[in-house]
Amino acid sequence: MSTLLTHIAISDGKIKRSSLEVLSHLRRQAEQHGHQVEAVIIDAEASRYTGQVQQYGPSKIYTVENPVFKNHLNAPLLKALEKVIEQADPSLVAFASTESTKDILGALAAREEAAVLSDVSTFELTEEGIRATRPVMAAKILSENEARGDMILVSVRSGSYDLEEQASDAEVIEIDFSVDDQDLRATLEEIISSSGDTIDLSEAETIVAAGRGAKDEKGQQLISELADVLNAGVGASRALTEAGVMDPSLQIGQTGKVVSPQLYIAVGISGAIQHVAGMASSKVIVAINKDPDAPIFDIADYGIVGDLYDVLPPFIDELKKIAS
Amino acid sequence: MKFYVCIKQVPDIDAPIQIKNGNLIQDTDRTVLNAYDASAVEEALVLTEKHGGEVEVVLIGPNQAKETIRKALAMGAHKATHIETREESYDSSVYASILASFFEDKDYDVISCGKQSQDTDAGLTGSMLAEHLDLPYSTNAVALSAQNGQLRVKRQGDAGQELIALPLPCLVSCSNDMNEPRIPSLKGIMQSKRKPMETIALDALEIDESALEAKTAVTGYREKPKREAGQKFEGEPEETARQVARLLDEEANVV
Ligand SMILES: Cc1cc2nc3c(=O)[nH]c(=O)nc-3n(C[C@H](O)[C@H](O)[C@H](O)COP(=O)(O)OP(=O)(O)OC[C@H]3O[C@@H](n4cnc5c(N)ncnc54)[C@H](O)[C@@H]3O)c2cc1C
Repeated sequence: MSTLLTHIAISDGKIKRSSLEVLSHLRRQAEQHGHQVEAVIIDAEASRYTGQVQQYGPSKIYTVENPVFKNHLNAPLLKALEKVIEQADPSLVAFASTESTKDILGALAAREEAAVLSDVSTFELTEEGIRATRPVMAAKILSENEARGDMILVSVRSGSYDLEEQASDAEVIEIDFSVDDQDLRATLEEIISSSGDTIDLSEAETIVAAGRGAKDEKGQQLISELADVLNAGVGASRALTEAGVMDPSLQIGQTGKVVSPQLYIAVGISGAIQHVAGMASSKVIVAINKDPDAPIFDIADYGIVGDLYDVLPPFIDELKKIAS
Repeated sequence: MKFYVCIKQVPDIDAPIQIKNGNLIQDTDRTVLNAYDASAVEEALVLTEKHGGEVEVVLIGPNQAKETIRKALAMGAHKATHIETREESYDSSVYASILASFFEDKDYDVISCGKQSQDTDAGLTGSMLAEHLDLPYSTNAVALSAQNGQLRVKRQGDAGQELIALPLPCLVSCSNDMNEPRIPSLKGIMQSKRKPMETIALDALEIDESALEAKTAVTGYREKPKREAGQKFEGEPEETARQVARLLDEEANVV
């Protein structure tokens, strides 16, 4: 029997749902293969979250609590993970694929001499390690991968697995941790928060995404009205983040975020493969575009050909009626 | 400032691809300089144009990858090293080990690279290399500047952006949100042919056999299940818009 460890990511005072998805999947895998699953929380207030993590059935929860983890910094996070790994001696460490994970996964693999697969959409345990599927070529193609070794690291795209609770009375183990200036290696000088009250796009049920077609003020106004009616997160194509019209954190696609909401409404977005790479696994896709040949229509469940300035006002109005 | 920029040749993802017996076949051998690496080259050029210094590009790949090195030289990089390999399927950790061995006896202020490869999107090699070389590092940089002997990085995080100061030497991986890479000028292309390009055989680096063994392997490829195009509504916006809104409620149950 070996130990499978899940890293629980905290963001904005909340557990990232995608970490719990990974934990749910790992628990099922552990049951099938006779392993045990454990979790680690690294945060300024790590102990606050143990109760919620217990709901997902790990047998142990490690906490590393230190004010340094209030903000993401790679060097102390790596040091903390190294300490936990030393103690838990896992054969597999699984992460939700967040920007913070992307920042440290390679370094951790090099430090632990572990095999690593990043950004997988599914994975299963095998005799020697794991087998995993990864989207490649801007998510046009799926690759099948194997990782072998005494320790394997894997990061998983959000929305890959369903949450499944199974309460446990997991033992909580506090890991003794301190940092000095030398450990930091870099200075975090400033955090530029994203503008507005943003809904975490990787967890949003509904996303309204704006493209170059909705660049001007009136377009932006309509986008935010539509998002309001649907209680949706607002996303954007690169055309708008690049132009500075939308906050860079809102970019969806190969460079930006990968999302998988129930409903994705693409407004004035052509559907370039690099954009589609980030949203193609949305459950229902609606496209509003005045070009009937725009590639976004090839993947849309509902396509409206028309000028967004004419389409959105009645669309919003009808949705309001439905909501009331 | 001395910049080393690690670059990679990747298949052009816009070119048609087929899968035959689990292998990826591209009808063309269209290859490009990885877009994220192009941004790293661009930014190194901008910073050395401003503060003085030199940009050297390093590429691991087969002989045909020289084309991609020439592109970076034509953009303005001063010199290049080509670590020539036979065509083998390395994973990120092997690339990082090769690069680590190359950099062992080198002097530099900054090593930079793209944040991921356009074809595999793995995004691992940069921070692996930083770990091997024990360098402070940052990833997913969207802006760089040099100040008081430090590299200042604007990093795109999950929610906001972070301004991070890294002491030199350091490593940084770059997003294509950083800049618009220049298109080589005719003069740049002419000059690139006379710029120094050193070719090192992989064997000459005397890397431990075990470091050259991939821990992960791709065992096959398959098409992603296609999404079918659904219903397309053309007509009076006033009508089609209301109709689709009602379908989202009654048929798709998502509003
Ligand atoms: C390595 C790499 C990574 C990339 N990563 C990303 C990424 O993460 N995310 C991303 O989005 N892009 C990414 N891109 C860029 C991508 O290739 C496209 O350039 C970008 O997605 C285009 O954005 P857009 O659809 O808004 O603009 P356009 O392609 O210009 O499309 C605008 C659309 O709006 C429509 N339109 C215009 N006016 C109206 C109107 N009044 N009413 C209705 N429709 C209208 C037009 O018909 C058109 O279809 C990447 C590119 C590269 C090379």
